[in-house]
Amino acid sequence: MSDPAILSAEALVKTYPDGDVKAVQGISLSINGGEFVAITGPSGCGKSTLLHLLGGLDRPDGGEVFFRGEPLARMDLDAFRARRLGFVFQSFHLVPTLSALENVQVPMFESELPRRRRAEQAKRLLDEVGLSHRGHHPPRRLSVGERQRVAIARALANEPTLLLADEPTGNLDSASESEILALLTRLRQERGLTLLIVTHGSVIASSADREIKLKDGRVVSD
Amino acid sequence: MSFFTFILRNMLGRPTRTLLTVLGVGVGIAAVVMLTGISWGFERSMSAIYQSRGIDLIVVRAGVSDQLSSTLDETQIDTIRAIPGVEQAAPSLMDAVSFEEANLVSVLANGWEPGGLLIKGLKVIHGRALEQGDTRAVMLGRVLSLNLGKKVGETVSIAGEPFRIIGIYESDSLFESGGLVVPLRELQRMMGREGSVTGFVVVAKPKVDPRALGREIETKLKGTAAIPARDYVQENIQLRLARAMAGATIAVALALGSIGLLNTMAMAVFERTGEIGLLRALGWRRTRIIALLMGEAATLGLLGVVAGSLLAVVGMRGMMLSPTSRGFIDPNLPPAAFAIAALMGALLCVLGGLYPAIRASRLEPTEALRHE
Repeated sequence: MSDPAILSAEALVKTYPDGDVKAVQGISLSINGGEFVAITGPSGCGKSTLLHLLGGLDRPDGGEVFFRGEPLARMDLDAFRARRLGFVFQSFHLVPTLSALENVQVPMFESELPRRRRAEQAKRLLDEVGLSHRGHHPPRRLSVGERQRVAIARALANEPTLLLADEPTGNLDSASESEILALLTRLRQERGLTLLIVTHGSVIASSADREIKLKDGRVVSD
Repeated sequence: MSFFTFILRNMLGRPTRTLLTVLGVGVGIAAVVMLTGISWGFERSMSAIYQSRGIDLIVVRAGVSDQLSSTLDETQIDTIRAIPGVEQAAPSLMDAVSFEEANLVSVLANGWEPGGLLIKGLKVIHGRALEQGDTRAVMLGRVLSLNLGKKVGETVSIAGEPFRIIGIYESDSLFESGGLVVPLRELQRMMGREGSVTGFVVVAKPKVDPRALGREIETKLKGTAAIPARDYVQENIQLRLARAMAGATIAVALALGSIGLLNTMAMAVFERTGEIGLLRALGWRRTRIIALLMGEAATLGLLGVVAGSLLAVVGMRGMMLSPTSRGFIDPNLPPAAFAIAALMGALLCVLGGLYPAIRASRLEPTEALRHE
């Protein structure tokens, strides 16, 4: 089911100025379209930094990231993040003053959709993640599992081809973790998504097509 | 959800801060609207005294700052009237009296010739105007009669002397409506200024240039200044003071309001660095981040303008409760004062919102997300 490389990286380097820490040290990899890849490794090994570089949330100090063969450095990164990419965070990052339904609509401001279509699309996505009955609730009135479902619906708002998730089950209990994993797997199949997940847990890693292990900012196994 | 709904949600999500900012901006705007309104009302009132009678020139002693401190020989009116370009001229003695029982201080008292140009400019609404031979008779302005609670036929004590109220008048000028008129001779006697007046008013004949006529009067009457009515109003010392105060208040209010709004917006950006990082991570362009924060600043500014305008209207009504204000301050604010408030609100939004908005838009998503 995999297509040729949708996302690749060549000799990526990222150094943080505070403490002169080399978070990523010359990583090269290639992710094929439709693949489910888990990036694993101990804390501080550079997993999240690598995901942020691959998702265009941060710029590398060296090397290059390519999306369908085109360097991200030459692309409109805002448009890339808005249209091609969905990002799910460990701590959900929902806007506290908005309802679940409104949170899902936030990325759609960068789309051409008129207001009514945005609301319809958000309802459909909440339905897809099983939260259509909780649309008008603010994040504080949702369980942590429900919050992550809203965040996943939001990541799909602009119909991306790539879904990147940074420890999406890191704040969840094991029951919720299984539910979120099942949801991501189903969405990947239904939508033909390429799924790239940073995780500590073995449950997600064992469900992935491929596991890339990092240590000290380098790939130790792929 | 519209973009504006997002803006409103952000503001309503922090109600205390939003309310305090709106109040802070509102108080500054109210101060500006009130002082501007008072200053313009003052100017309008002064202009009305002369415009309603077609007065072209005010003659006062040269070098005085206002008519109250001017002293001229009453007989000089004959010299003025003899000038061919003069249509009409009238002497005027101005002073200030108090009505302590009504807690009114500095009420304008005019000593005018009965049947003269100045008295003819008043609109008598009750009783009659002063006539030749009236003694111990007074006409009260409508506002003063209301403040004193006096009617035609009653007696009022002026500087310790009883005066019979023979008429109540209305005037376009609040100063006149808040003041009184007695025969010139009576005021001269009461103030110990027999033979003296504080100035003359002159109406030029049609097609006569008032400035040229003024120069002629100054040549014939050494030591006088014949000032065109408009210039006299513009150069009036109280008016200039009121204008200067209004200008200074605008500057101070603008500075304080900008700092307040800047602080609020900067705090909002700081507190929401993670949220701004999220929006950037979700693909929001820098311009949309700026639009979001400027939208919030604009909404705060707009609410501040509305709150400030309401405070100003209430404040002006409140000032009318003070006896010292009644008769001097026009509680009706001109539309231009509200226009200044709106302009100030817009300036505050730009000054207070732009820097934090630009700063926020420059945040890289990862850097901003790390703030949480």
